[in-house]
Amino acid sequence: MKNYLLFILIGLTALAGCSEMGSKDSASVNPNGGSGTGGSMARFAVAGNFLYVVNQHSLQVYDVQKSADPNSLSKVSLGFGVETIFPYNNHLFIGTQTGMYIMNLENPAKPQQTALYRHIFSCDPVVAQGNYAYVTLRSGTSCNTGPNRLEVVDISNLANPVQVNEISMINPHGLGIDGNLLFVCEGDAGLKVFDASDPVKLKPIKTFEDIRSYDVIPNRSVLIVTGKDGIFQYRYDASQQLTLLSTLPVEN
Amino acid sequence: MKHLFPPLCLRRFLSPLLLLAVFGCEINRESDPDRTFQGLRPVYATYEEIRTIQTLGPQPLKNPGKIYVKGSYLFINEPGKGIHIVDNSDPATPKKLAFVSVPANVDMAVKENVLYVDNAVDLVALDITDPRKVTVLKRIKDAYPYPSYPQQRGVQFECANPEKGVVVRWETAQLTNPKCYR
Repeated sequence: MKNYLLFILIGLTALAGCSEMGSKDSASVNPNGGSGTGGSMARFAVAGNFLYVVNQHSLQVYDVQKSADPNSLSKVSLGFGVETIFPYNNHLFIGTQTGMYIMNLENPAKPQQTALYRHIFSCDPVVAQGNYAYVTLRSGTSCNTGPNRLEVVDISNLANPVQVNEISMINPHGLGIDGNLLFVCEGDAGLKVFDASDPVKLKPIKTFEDIRSYDVIPNRSVLIVTGKDGIFQYRYDASQQLTLLSTLPVEN
Repeated sequence: MKHLFPPLCLRRFLSPLLLLAVFGCEINRESDPDRTFQGLRPVYATYEEIRTIQTLGPQPLKNPGKIYVKGSYLFINEPGKGIHIVDNSDPATPKKLAFVSVPANVDMAVKENVLYVDNAVDLVALDITDPRKVTVLKRIKDAYPYPSYPQQRGVQFECANPEKGVVVRWETAQLTNPKCYR
């Protein structure tokens, strides 16, 4: 009986994992109910019936089974300098100033730490797709003098994340990945696009120096960019070009 | 990686030290009377001001912050001010529908027709069924720690007093005998 229950539990976990993976893999937004998609700088994330919120030192879990009636459930302490949260494949990837926490959601009401991938003191949003996580490390006012770079981390074994690539950047902020295209915001230095067919050997495709960018959401072949000059939307496709669709400019 | 960590015998002292470094901002300085320092002073908003959430017509985009997508809607945060709700069913012609004024807001997420936002120290659930008429469904008070110290380090500051309201920013000022330091 116990084995039977365990089997069901594993099955359910796998299912939940798959649906989450599916929605993130295509980076699409489910138009019917469910939750939406944030950028990589987000500190809120909805996964299933739970809302996860990070503040400076901890991860707070809310039960949102009834969407209109969120209830505080539990709180997990996470050192200090917690910056961002990215839900993926039944896990939460949490960027902090000292490293990336991978928390599993086997019990979604009480996330458990699977791994902590440590790096040098720096700001760092993270996104994940397939067997890889992509982390940007940025130096800035609240992050002291860390390095500026992009790190690619092999997460095929979630309990043992291993760095497989490292690329120098100018001032990286948010990032997003869809299929083979990785988009990295470089603040005032523009937007960089990489070919991520082989994450171990990322190939730079192009730098758009005029797109001052803070964060991105790649969503069904449309890239939404937020930055100092406004909101810019581009179409992207297999040809690896970005075509401007629209602009919501900053008005003064 | 192991060499990055201090020897075991020192580790027990490390967490209290770290705690002190992070939270040890309140140091009493009462020995020297009437000394003036350049420091930071909290600027408060009353809880009533902070907790007033309202839907306005479309507002100019001033300082776009975080973004969030749900269905055909695009949400754009205006840091500290609230959220622009945009009809993005055609990404070539996005249309601003409304602006939800949420003081001190920077983050958001959506499940079904509910928008979750941070509102200073509170977490609030908003009904966005009609984006032009957003209503408060539930407010969880004090979901966040009170902002009792500025982000900067190595500064003297006037201690924040939660009874005066919520600190919305810190301004430079001449302080007499500031009692807080970080």
